[in-house]
Amino acid sequence: MLKIEHLTAGYGDKKVLEDINLTIEDGCVTALIGPNGSGKTTLIRAVSGVLPVMQGAITVDDRQVNTLTEQERARLISVVPQVRNIPPAFSVREVVALGRTPYLNWLGQFSTQDDQIVENALEQTDLMELAERLMADLSGGEQQRVLLARALAQDTRVMLLDEPTSHLDLQFQVNLMERVHRLAHPMEGIERDGHAVLAAVHDLNLLRMFSDRVVLLVKGRIEAEGTADEVLREEILSKAYRIPLHVIRDSETGKSAILPRL
Amino acid sequence: MSRTARPFVILGFLLVLALFVSVMAGSMFLSPAELWQAFTSRAGGGANGVEQSGVAATILFKLRLPRAILLLLVGAALAGSGAAYQGLFRNPLADPFLIGVASGAGLGAVVAMTIQWPYTAAGLAAVPLAAFAGATLAVLVVTRLARVGNSVPTTNLILAGVAVSSFASAVTSLLMINSTGELRRAMVWLLGGSALSGWNPVLGVLPYILAGCAVLLLLGHPLNVMQFGDEQAQQLGIPVRRVRRVTILAATLTTAAAVAFVGVIGFVGLVVPHILRLLWGGDYRRLLPLSMLGGAALLLLTDTVARTVIAPQEIPVGIITALLGAPFFLWVLRRSKSQNYW
Amino acid sequence: MKKILSMFMLGMIFSLAAAGCSAAPQVAAQPTVRATEVPTAEPLEVTDGLGRVVTLAGTPQQIISLAPSATEILYAVGAGAQMAGRDSFSNYPEEAKALADVGGSMGNYSYEVITSLTPDLVVAAEINTTEQVKALEDLGLTVYYIANPSSLEDLYGILETIGMITGNSDTSAALVESLKARVEVVVEKTRIVSFSPAVFYELDGSEPSRPWTAGPGTFIDMLIGMAGGRNVGGVLSGSWAQMSAEELLVQNPKIILLGDAAYGTTAEQVAARAGWNTIDAVKEGRIYAFNDDTVSRPGPRLVDALEELSKLIHPELYP
Repeated sequence: MLKIEHLTAGYGDKKVLEDINLTIEDGCVTALIGPNGSGKTTLIRAVSGVLPVMQGAITVDDRQVNTLTEQERARLISVVPQVRNIPPAFSVREVVALGRTPYLNWLGQFSTQDDQIVENALEQTDLMELAERLMADLSGGEQQRVLLARALAQDTRVMLLDEPTSHLDLQFQVNLMERVHRLAHPMEGIERDGHAVLAAVHDLNLLRMFSDRVVLLVKGRIEAEGTADEVLREEILSKAYRIPLHVIRDSETGKSAILPRL
Repeated sequence: MSRTARPFVILGFLLVLALFVSVMAGSMFLSPAELWQAFTSRAGGGANGVEQSGVAATILFKLRLPRAILLLLVGAALAGSGAAYQGLFRNPLADPFLIGVASGAGLGAVVAMTIQWPYTAAGLAAVPLAAFAGATLAVLVVTRLARVGNSVPTTNLILAGVAVSSFASAVTSLLMINSTGELRRAMVWLLGGSALSGWNPVLGVLPYILAGCAVLLLLGHPLNVMQFGDEQAQQLGIPVRRVRRVTILAATLTTAAAVAFVGVIGFVGLVVPHILRLLWGGDYRRLLPLSMLGGAALLLLTDTVARTVIAPQEIPVGIITALLGAPFFLWVLRRSKSQNYW
Repeated sequence: MKKILSMFMLGMIFSLAAAGCSAAPQVAAQPTVRATEVPTAEPLEVTDGLGRVVTLAGTPQQIISLAPSATEILYAVGAGAQMAGRDSFSNYPEEAKALADVGGSMGNYSYEVITSLTPDLVVAAEINTTEQVKALEDLGLTVYYIANPSSLEDLYGILETIGMITGNSDTSAALVESLKARVEVVVEKTRIVSFSPAVFYELDGSEPSRPWTAGPGTFIDMLIGMAGGRNVGGVLSGSWAQMSAEELLVQNPKIILLGDAAYGTTAEQVAARAGWNTIDAVKEGRIYAFNDDTVSRPGPRLVDALEELSKLIHPELYP
């Protein structure tokens, strides 16, 4: 479980996030939405430790993470970033294996257990066939999946995703977010508890498919928090995105679409 | 032979070969038999009475062997540092002199050369000491200039490095053109290969290069992870700032020591890791030690050429490395255009 | 595997280093015994130009010179038959060219060749660095360093010293006497002149708008003065400096000496340079080639240069 309390963070003197309070439960996917500049990426950065916090506490399972070393923190929190500037000459397996970094010594030696975890991650993301291919030879969607597998190999309870579907084709968006959902809600027969997932997403229309809770971030503050029904409301969204919006519900499937009201 | 061991065996063999060639070739060719005789008679205590073997022993133990060891160390230091910087700056065109070591050392050396030092042990150590000081000082200035808060971002380092290097080179040129007596001496020093005599330079560089290279060898895995950028590397648990600091420190010490005693030998630090990357991939856990082996072998071979091709003239080694490095690099590059490299 | 290889490499390095640094006695260069024995003197101690105390066990018979000036001095004091090698630039006297070449054209000498010649004395000059002297010392060789003389008196002292350490004191004494006499002749003649023509000594004219010349403190500057002329380059600072063509036109030398004649510069080329035709020396056709070696190498040929300068600057003294 990830708990964020009174978090204030920013760049230089400028505060981007103000007094954020948020709890991400295990076995729950929380979607983080909001207009550009609202602080979604900043929040991911602050929680993962890349951005030092100005104020506030971040705890994982009641452990304060601010005081941990990078290595210790990486064993608790993993991040799936956007696919961007991937060094081309890594193989898929090598990239996924990097997820074990927080558990390796300085020389980077793998134990059999490490190898097994990497295999599992590859299996879970259906990458076994592509394992030996070079990253440069993969499509954008496949590359994003590799980064997801890497985070899986990192074997953390808390997983953060930073707009992982932004530039993917529709089928890859759906595919990826389905997997993410399954991470939090493992199928019957799998022992482990689900991950605690916080996913910053840009596209509002696929949310209901995979997220259990939605948090709306506007100008560094939480404007709304709750289930998809509670947050994806016309008044709330129109105000946040500063454009009149229309929420269309499909009564059959329960899915909704958000469109500008023209 | 396993795939991972093959490059090590190849380069190791090449290095041993280069070592033998370096020790055998010169104004007086020493055959393996003569080498064996010189080594065994020395171990037995004292050279044989024949005058000719006395000269051979002097040439072997006082000239060729220390020179070979020195160049082996320097080659390993330059190529190892080059590989580390290419990993740190995520740029295959980085070389060990990127953040000011060469120009700082050059300035220090030339400043020392403008002063007539007394002929004492301290006076003779003036130029290498000044070069070492100049090198480390330049890097300090560069890191200070590039600092942003608590970290030293790599783009800033490169920019600051270029600025400081340009300035140091300009001042060096000014000094050289104003003190015509030392112009030749400074030029020879800057081209690399001047103090290659005796065991003193070897003893001088040994602690720095051994320590520095040992540290660099441990940075292979962190550098691999850092290829994904500082942010992702840190999210994967790498203490990015510490790795950067340690890398710069180790690389600076090794190259500063190397340059202080042997002058500026360019190209080795840039080309060796780059070529090896094209041949055997960019995993820094392998690339770092392979670069050290390759750099040592290359420098030994080029020095042998520099010493023998127009004997008794000795061409400064830096010229030969540039001459040999360029076409070879172009050839490998053309051959691997289809491959990815990073 | 990688660890094993690294250990192997380190082990090899260390063992090789140990072999080199082992405590075996220093191998000293042995002097050869030659067919005709020259009588040897007592062990000699002198202080050289670097302040080093140099000890010679006997009269050296295998001398190596590292500089053209040293070569000329050695031959002049009569030690030519005792020479074994010289640097690449030593080309005077003619006999020196037959000696073994020990390198030096790119600032580096071949210590291997030097060692294999088993010299009992190596003579260096100011163009050699202290590192080179040290390196030769470390090889167990006896090195004598000649600092540049700042006057002709200094030069006489050097000639006498070199004569002494090579066992040619008689020859060097006679040489010094004759040099002094020749200098005296020029000084006497020059005493009566009433005017001191401006002389421009060109070292390098590849950039005619800023030719290189010799400044104050150089031999040529001193000798031009002694020969009754005035070195135009004396107004500059630094021993080797550029003078702008404008300044040269203002100075208007009566005589131009081409120290770069050996590189192909001729009087016709100089006369054709833009703007130079207004210079007196060009108008009167007093542009002369000059052997720069005689003034850039601090040796007995400085006196040759003085005589030549006197004839060129004050030809009226030599009817």
